[in-house]
Amino acid sequence: MPAADSHSRDPGLLVLISLADGPKHGHAIIQDVTEFAGIRLGPGTLYGALARLEEAGWIAALPTEGRRHPYRLTKTGQAALRTRLTGLDTAVRVGLGRITAS
Amino acid sequence: MKRLLRLYPAAWRERYEDELADLLTEFPASPSVLLDLIRGALIERSSARWRVTGSYPIPAGGQPMFEHPVHRHPTRLALLALLLVTPTLLFVVTSVLAYQLEVPGMEAVVDPLITNIAAMPWIDVILVTAPFVAAILAAIPLVGIGSGLADGERQLTLTLRARALNVFVLVTSVLLGGVLFLYLLTEFVLEAAR
Repeated sequence: MPAADSHSRDPGLLVLISLADGPKHGHAIIQDVTEFAGIRLGPGTLYGALARLEEAGWIAALPTEGRRHPYRLTKTGQAALRTRLTGLDTAVRVGLGRITAS
Repeated sequence: MKRLLRLYPAAWRERYEDELADLLTEFPASPSVLLDLIRGALIERSSARWRVTGSYPIPAGGQPMFEHPVHRHPTRLALLALLLVTPTLLFVVTSVLAYQLEVPGMEAVVDPLITNIAAMPWIDVILVTAPFVAAILAAIPLVGIGSGLADGERQLTLTLRARALNVFVLVTSVLLGGVLFLYLLTEFVLEAAR
């Protein structure tokens, strides 16, 4: 299976996770995602995800810091991320349990 | 590589182009980045959000997004408007110089031209109409109308822009068309009174 294939198809989830510990600008998000997921998001992919998340109200733009534009996770986004991760957590536990049992 | 951002929809660029351009300064140009940008642009272009005219989302905490089908070509439309208004402008300027200000030698040059032009069918209608059509063309990119959801409520936004070239062509066209229309109307009334 390609490494982290499912994550790479869901850059929005990676961005939400990245913003969960505080606001970040684009470059910081890319660095953070690279560190925790081993995936380097392309600039087009990142901004496609940011646009969709912002439209959904899951993230919000903060005032510009110099040339950089930070984003923060909204309460709605936090709730959505929690729901998503809880679902994934259940799937992971079930999957690992079945592998262990077999 | 920043030129690739032109592939994105105008409304998308309105909101994110500067940020993405800034981010690109920290990326070395590479085939993977190039492909990523092209892919991103294709996805945004194929997204219904950016294709539906007059209905654009307002992101929470962000700036309103709006797009008009011709919003992306303000300079082209201004130049087209300028081209359209030029014959009327030349006609009015040369006529004023020759007949109103009576600049020496001008009448001899302008008179045959005006006579030939005046003989053309519908020329008066064309010369008067052209500035108003030009004014509309120049004005279109100055107005943006958008709608979307913000804090759970649908909101409409009307955005006016101040693009120098478009405003210049707009004002010039309206003044020119107005002056010419009033002049021809006066001529017509005086002619009728005789």
